[in-house]
Amino acid sequence: MLKDFFRTFSSMIELEFRRLKHDRTEIYSRAVQPILWLAVYGPIMGSIRAIPTGNIPYTDFITPGVLIQSTTFISIFYGLTIVWERESGILKKLLVTPAPRYATVIGRAMASGIRAIFQTFIIILVALIIGVKFILNPFYFVLALVIIFFSSGGFAAISILVASFMKTRERFMGIGQALTMPLFFASNALYPVTMMPKALQYFATINPMSYVVDAVRSLIISGDLTNLWLDIVAIAIFNIIMFTLASVNFKKIIE
Amino acid sequence: MEKAVDVRDVVKIFNKNFRALDGVSLEIESGSIFALLGPNGAGKTTLMRILTTQIGPSSGHAYVFGLDTVKEGSQVRKLISYVPQEMSVWTDISGYENLLIYSKIYGIPKEERNNIINGVLESMGLHDVSNRLVKTYSGGMIRRLEIACALLVRPKILFLDEPTIGLDPSARKVVWEKLKMFKKDYGTTIFFNTHYMDEAEIYSDLIAIINRGKIVTIGTSEELKHSVGGEILHFILSENGLHEDVLRELEGIEGIKDVVVSNSDVTFVVNDAEMILPHIMTFFNKKNIFVRRVSITKPTLDDVFLKYAGTRIDVSGRLSEVTHVRRMIRRG
Repeated sequence: MLKDFFRTFSSMIELEFRRLKHDRTEIYSRAVQPILWLAVYGPIMGSIRAIPTGNIPYTDFITPGVLIQSTTFISIFYGLTIVWERESGILKKLLVTPAPRYATVIGRAMASGIRAIFQTFIIILVALIIGVKFILNPFYFVLALVIIFFSSGGFAAISILVASFMKTRERFMGIGQALTMPLFFASNALYPVTMMPKALQYFATINPMSYVVDAVRSLIISGDLTNLWLDIVAIAIFNIIMFTLASVNFKKIIE
Repeated sequence: MEKAVDVRDVVKIFNKNFRALDGVSLEIESGSIFALLGPNGAGKTTLMRILTTQIGPSSGHAYVFGLDTVKEGSQVRKLISYVPQEMSVWTDISGYENLLIYSKIYGIPKEERNNIINGVLESMGLHDVSNRLVKTYSGGMIRRLEIACALLVRPKILFLDEPTIGLDPSARKVVWEKLKMFKKDYGTTIFFNTHYMDEAEIYSDLIAIINRGKIVTIGTSEELKHSVGGEILHFILSENGLHEDVLRELEGIEGIKDVVVSNSDVTFVVNDAEMILPHIMTFFNKKNIFVRRVSITKPTLDDVFLKYAGTRIDVSGRLSEVTHVRRMIRRG
């Protein structure tokens, strides 16, 4: 049982690696937007010092936010691949293999994490060039990568769930946009949650992106690990819920 | 002998009112090639999706090698391979990589993987292009790669949904030659859907014709064609007309259903033209009647289809549509 799961899971991860080996255009083109946030928006907003970020420069503060926004976008639009595979016969064929269906879903979802990790390296490189100061602790850095990888799977599971309802690419694109922007702006990515109106603050506390940003920010920028365990637990709960929902609904996708 | 496929009174209703399958029953012997022939929307794909455990029937039961497709779905999936009508390989990796990923999903042991992959590549004639990205393949090559993926596990039964749709005649022929070879080597049962009559006729052992969710007739292509009403033997004689007595004698020959004489033309309706022809020739010889010309006309599956379904299979519209879809998906 567990063996079947890991076999399917690792096949899906390997598939993603092989795809990236042949074509990385998407990763590069999706890096443009976060680079603008870091290189243009960050310094300008930072120069007016309107946002209290403690003793961390503003661009450094938003780097994890922009990073997570970008990896989350990749994960959420990963559902597009699933919609494409639904239109073609790939999903039908996968469902007829002995691979457990939930393993197919979780494997596909986590495969988006591979893209997210690639994206992370590009953005961190750009941030280094801009002059963002990272905490130089390899253990923290690796843990941050693991968190990014794992949470990407959760966000991709949302998109697989959406894909099982929205069966055309156009509809999926619309929903994708409508999902990602609120997640981003109603999170702690660009400003501390305490600056938001009360209602939004409540939303931010159930927004999984806030926890991911907080975890990554504490590991690579601030070094303040007080909330790290809370973040990790929240992300784990989010992932488990999303994996379950996406797996349960997956059969619908081919009907 | 165990039945490869056993379908009993299967009904499938979509969206509460569309009966895609309306009481289908079917038995297929293990080791045979079975063709489900029917026009677009007849229910071919729905039946195949039930047999491959993708969807359950609304009522009735379907068994594959004695296993219930609903209750024992995961067992069934271990025995079968399936090639859907739509394209089902990843186009942004190479052919070899597609096979590698599938072999891992199927859990083929590491030490056998390479051999098996090379084996199916060889048997599908794809060895030379295995390292090219699939998006550079032709339609026929993609189809062969899809079949190669399905053959990795040496299934007990292979389900093919319109295996040669959108392929040119020579590519179709290649695909079938490879399939026949594989069947010969491993005794795999093959179940395929098609709307090409010639394909059903040439390659299958048993044909069922499906129309509007119902199986209207089933048999070998010979049986089906005979059931239309017989074959036509047409003679042109050197003299005009036949004597009344001669005609009566002719009608007495076993196997002749009807004789129509008009001037020097004599037309027989018979069960089996090849069998009866020598008898008639001998008879004419004995009577010193000289035959100038003989022709045999046999009913086609199209006539069979016309008889049982009331319409002809319309191929043209459907074909261009599917080719278009496949192209679109490739560009995807």
